[in-house]
Amino acid sequence: MAKYLKIEIPGTLLAAAVLLLMVVGIAGNAAATIVGETGTSFNLVARTGNIITSDGDSFLMWGYGLESGTSMQYPGPTLILQEGQTITVTLKNELPAAAGNVSIVFPGQIVTASGGAQGLLTREAVPGSANAVTYTFVAKEPGTYMYHSGTRPDLQVEMGLVGAIIIRPKLGAKYAYNHANTRFDREFLYLLTEMDPRIHRAIAFGQYNLVDTSNYFATNWFINGRNFPDVMQANYVATLPNQPYNCQPRMLPGETVLLRFIGGGRDPHPMHEHGNDFSVLAVDGRMLQSAPGKGADLAWMANTIRVLPGQTVDVTWTWTGAGIGWDIYGHLPGQQLAPGEDPADHAKPFPVVIPPRDELTFGQFYSGSPFLGGMGELPTGHPGFNAYGGFFYMWHSHTEKELTSNDIWPGGLVSFMIVEPPGTPIP
Amino acid sequence: MRSKARGKWTCLVSIVPILLLLLAAGPARAVLTQCPPGATWISPGQAGTGNVVCMHITGGDGFTYMGDGYEQYLLSFGHVTPGVPDAQVLANYTLKATFPAPTIVLKEGQELYLTMTNVGMTMRPDLFDPHSVHWHGFKNAAPIFDGLPEPSPTANMGASFTYYYKARHPGTFFYHCHVEAAEHMQMGMIGNLWVLPAQNELPDSTVFPNGFIHIQGNKYAYNDGDGSTYYDREFAVQLTGFDPAFHDASLFVQPLPFAAMEDKYPMINGRGYPDTINPNPILNRDGFAAQPMHARISANAGEKILLRVSNISTTDFFTITTTLGVPMKVVGNGAQILRSPTGQDLSYETFILNTAGGEHYDVILNTAGVPQGTYFLYTTDLKFLSNNQQERGGLMTEIVIN
Repeated sequence: MAKYLKIEIPGTLLAAAVLLLMVVGIAGNAAATIVGETGTSFNLVARTGNIITSDGDSFLMWGYGLESGTSMQYPGPTLILQEGQTITVTLKNELPAAAGNVSIVFPGQIVTASGGAQGLLTREAVPGSANAVTYTFVAKEPGTYMYHSGTRPDLQVEMGLVGAIIIRPKLGAKYAYNHANTRFDREFLYLLTEMDPRIHRAIAFGQYNLVDTSNYFATNWFINGRNFPDVMQANYVATLPNQPYNCQPRMLPGETVLLRFIGGGRDPHPMHEHGNDFSVLAVDGRMLQSAPGKGADLAWMANTIRVLPGQTVDVTWTWTGAGIGWDIYGHLPGQQLAPGEDPADHAKPFPVVIPPRDELTFGQFYSGSPFLGGMGELPTGHPGFNAYGGFFYMWHSHTEKELTSNDIWPGGLVSFMIVEPPGTPIP
Repeated sequence: MRSKARGKWTCLVSIVPILLLLLAAGPARAVLTQCPPGATWISPGQAGTGNVVCMHITGGDGFTYMGDGYEQYLLSFGHVTPGVPDAQVLANYTLKATFPAPTIVLKEGQELYLTMTNVGMTMRPDLFDPHSVHWHGFKNAAPIFDGLPEPSPTANMGASFTYYYKARHPGTFFYHCHVEAAEHMQMGMIGNLWVLPAQNELPDSTVFPNGFIHIQGNKYAYNDGDGSTYYDREFAVQLTGFDPAFHDASLFVQPLPFAAMEDKYPMINGRGYPDTINPNPILNRDGFAAQPMHARISANAGEKILLRVSNISTTDFFTITTTLGVPMKVVGNGAQILRSPTGQDLSYETFILNTAGGEHYDVILNTAGVPQGTYFLYTTDLKFLSNNQQERGGLMTEIVIN
């Protein structure tokens, strides 16, 4: 068998141009973290606004926005809270009068509501009224939660009135719960929602009588309010003014990442992680533990987790490449080990011959090299969306139909974890 | 996005021979099998001996019959008989896709060199899609062999790509093409993949800490260390579904209905009932055994049956149950034995098993005390008990206790 020749020339013009593009462009400044609002008091307003989908379409939404701003956002502001604090959320209603009242329910929290008008599930904010409704609760248990409209939720949640809550434990910001075995290096949010465009079209044209949520049929799917590939853009990117949150997980080999899944819509989604299995730590803000103080001792391993409507699931994931049977860095005998590299595979040759370039189609995230941190020659016209020679793993719904945005492939519930080579700066 | 822009071709008959000619004569593309000297070639459904094994599959198209007799166009993988010269593969293996794709069985620790040759879509000469192999659930994978087309190279028509795997973890897996996954998986590019645990190879009379004695020939689902995943017979229960409107649109070169996709032909191992209990291969229009795998489960009373369950539907969750009267013991999920990090037993008994797309389970049926007779495994999602509009079909098969 012929040996694979590692191409040692990363500095082709194309690669350099691509590197420059990437550092200032897509992946380079797309912060790999969860962003949101911190504090104990949040003043929200329900407003109308438009979102942009990856197939080039635009839809009218109703969403929660900050009173200090002028717009709504999809999803609503991620509220990042501290365990034990008393939280106050006020809500005003700037939706059109035809939308009716609006409210917030906080599943998993013991809430006191005041002001506004009494509704079916909770107190509600009346359109045009300066009289805000106020919700207070104690952020008692750390974990991942959600909030959404408690008023006609079959319509209002679909229209966008949903958001995430993270309660950080007293143990520290790098822990999911109050136990050492829930420590993580980085965390990422997966708030999953779907859309039936017919409902949004009817609302946009004022045809409220045409809205029928009983024959709901989703054809568009979102992670943190964006479709793939928009999830790879930076947080707060100007081109998606009402969709501030990205989903661009990145890490270094050997790190532990925490994924906070939230079923924000009405359908269940089986989320599948390429690259390695994850450990299921907690469901609905409660650790899977056999007794208090045990930590997540009932955690289980899987590669696909179903996220049910209204449910939250916390999983941890890591990747080292150990045991793969060849040196993932392409080291030659005598070269130094990379940090965390499996010594058993060090300098083991790449096992197969990669066919000539014209026999292959090169994906947009292929670096041109099979090695972590490697760069190789790419065909003319290749976009080179891999700035550091990272390993890209698709994290996506395995109901593969949901990998589309309103009939257009690819889109929908797709994201990519990038395991970057050691030393790569990750904001 | 290409799918929306595809034009209408009306002269397929004249194009097909041209395509074949191009594939045969084109100097740039080459079928290339990569298999190290001394390696063993394995056959579908059978584990090979030795530390290094090889298999050669095709990615292409073909025809099958649904449970109601409807002829269904599909994309899938086919098996290349070992020894066929590389130069003959394109000529011999167009329109030879099978559903499910060839079952790959490995022993823990074996290295697999899996060559996938893209033989092209004979009925779709306008399609220039590459194909790939994604080993679903492979732990600590590298993108080059993960089959995702976005971060790796994939084989164009007429070319081969060889995937390398060191099978470090036992369990029930599956594989599928990941190129334009919503399309290629709905179209059928799905197969079974199992890794047998090293515990099967223990010396005769090995005594486990709990007193369980391993006898040579014993089979286990995982390296359980206590015999709890022992089984006598194993059967695939691979749950998939086809949307005939999508498949027909593909065959007739129409825009593909992604948004409207809805499975109407739910299947076990590529068949709807009553085809599931037909022990023979089902031949397609060319007399080719395009549906080689039945789903009839049989055992002697008292034996333990391992069901290797997977759901790779692109649209639906499926729920299964049996009429045996004994529970399904779920011992594995996602090719992981159900144990906590501290070693606690997380296996459970259930009478219904709900599966989501991408999930795979190991289920043991203990038939002790079950009288001889014919029983059924079927879906409790009753709308899937049909082959499109034909009722008494779909996700159902027999369990025969002798």
